Amino acid sequence: MKKILQIALGILTSIGGFLDVGAIATSAEAGSMFGFHLLWALILGTICVIFLVEMAGRIAAVSKHTLMDAVREHFGFRFQFILLCAEIGIDFLVLASEIGGICIALQLVTGVDFQWWALPVAFCIWLLIWKGTFGLIENGVAFLGLVSLVFVIATFKLHPSLTKLGAGLLPTLPQQDTAHYLFIAVSILGAVISPYLFYFYSSGGREDKWDEGYIGVNRGVAAVGMSFGSVVSLCVLIVAALVLQPKGIQVDSYQQAALMLTQPLGYWGFLLFAATLGIACLGAALEICLDTAYIVSQVFGWNWGASVRPKEAARFSLVYTVFVFLASLLMVIGLDPLKLTLFSMALTAVILPLEIFPFLILMNDERYVGKYRNGWISNSVVIFTIALAFVLAIFSIPLELIAGG
Amino acid sequence: MDVIRDVLDHQLVDRNQKKMGRVDGIVVELRDGQPPRLTYIEVGMPALARRLHPRFEHWIAALQSKWGARRGETFRIPWSQVSDFGIGGVDVVVDLEAEATPALAWEKWLREQIISRIPGASS
Amino acid sequence: MTQEIQLELLLGKPVQDSTGKTIGLIQEVYAEQQGDEWVILEYQLGPAAILKRLSAWRVGQVILPLLRARRTPIGYRVPWDKIDLADLEKLRLLCSLDELKTL
Repeated sequence: MKKILQIALGILTSIGGFLDVGAIATSAEAGSMFGFHLLWALILGTICVIFLVEMAGRIAAVSKHTLMDAVREHFGFRFQFILLCAEIGIDFLVLASEIGGICIALQLVTGVDFQWWALPVAFCIWLLIWKGTFGLIENGVAFLGLVSLVFVIATFKLHPSLTKLGAGLLPTLPQQDTAHYLFIAVSILGAVISPYLFYFYSSGGREDKWDEGYIGVNRGVAAVGMSFGSVVSLCVLIVAALVLQPKGIQVDSYQQAALMLTQPLGYWGFLLFAATLGIACLGAALEICLDTAYIVSQVFGWNWGASVRPKEAARFSLVYTVFVFLASLLMVIGLDPLKLTLFSMALTAVILPLEIFPFLILMNDERYVGKYRNGWISNSVVIFTIALAFVLAIFSIPLELIAGG
Repeated sequence: MDVIRDVLDHQLVDRNQKKMGRVDGIVVELRDGQPPRLTYIEVGMPALARRLHPRFEHWIAALQSKWGARRGETFRIPWSQVSDFGIGGVDVVVDLEAEATPALAWEKWLREQIISRIPGASS
Repeated sequence: MTQEIQLELLLGKPVQDSTGKTIGLIQEVYAEQQGDEWVILEYQLGPAAILKRLSAWRVGQVILPLLRARRTPIGYRVPWDKIDLADLEKLRLLCSLDELKTL
């Protein structure tokens, strides 16, 4: 019974982890510009991320070491230093984007400009981590995250044509605007396969004291949780395609994206869009903040943990404290949250090969994962994802320049 | 024992399983006519910085000794105090009290000077 | 005479034979306990030593053919007294290549 409850909670949590500002923004942009044509990118990304997240959880459960621990123990400090810098940089931009998402949600509801919200929002995020335990953060955000199901309801109310949806599952190139199409495809994959998810999930497994008995829980949470998150993202794309595209509205800002729920659901739709955006971003912001503190502490071997009192993990606590306030400054100076989001997602794609390659080695080391090492299916998925990540990494910067974010 | 695989970069814990850093460096003594002897495990930012570039070691050490906890040196633990090795992905255990060593000097300084002054740090 | 060196800095350093040709980079160091001290008995060189350090023999066998590597990865085990460690930037092998055991 306890395990069933844990699976349920874990699944809810992964919705929170999956659905963040990046997923909402890229899906909305994709739907409004290219209809259903980019559905395949979301599905492809989801399959990759399910496998990788499952592995990140498995290594934590079996070896009692997190992904980042294992990376340093295998590849040494030099490789890890590069990885650490890249990951901190990406986390910084994505965290700023998430804070931006929360601020925009507050702006939509209150009318007060988003820049004013940045510091109060950063303070709330910090307070939740400072005072809260890992369980509180995990489960609280998960339950609030259920509001995102409003996109699923809206999709059903709009009756999308199933044949057209099916056609979107096959990758095709559009006749025009190819560069922008590919740029969005890269951004979607960057948003879905977000590296912070792996390190966070792996550390979370240690926070929850997983052992080999949790292999099944881990598999269920990864597969069902990520799929649920993916369904919500798919629905965002579908709603954007059905509501915004026919009117010729391209999502240049979150204010325009907010219109997508007003047609099926009226004024409530507008409020629920704001609520979904705010809560999904809050969940992701908490995770990224913790993730950064986790990886820094693990690289240097410091004591860490969200449930540990700040006094007992002083360096860990200092990292997230400084990090969240620095990231909020990007919003205080008024960077455009949507542009920053799309830019960070494409940038994520650049460092993806570096982040995924270690999986191939770690998940086959019997000293770490014992008899739970990867089978040929998992290894094939990792190799495929590395190859995919290489292609994305090569194309994302040229596309960024041509399509201009 | 494969020293690089099983010891270098592994998590270092004290006798109470408290985390006290990682094995950032290993010191070896070369002797005439006898095989080289493993003498110390090193923990600390200067030792890590040296692995990126020799010059960084002095910068980090100078920085660390001027500000904050004012502890710039790398902490050395004799091999005789290592009670268990990280074979099979297990941590390196040393027979010490982490709090009493310079390995946690910065942790302690931050705790006292900054973290415990913020309300709610110990609850 | 005794001299101190940092083991982690030895990692990845090339070792040259008597003709000045690099035979491989140091990738692993093997030590054993003798009495109450731990002593280094062997240095392991070459790509095979990397695979061994990463416990990646199995993966290596899948990946290397994919990358069209023509040979099986090479690796040497060099006894502790067969490398001259006097100059870390110029490590010299003190015996011939044929005398070394392979990994």
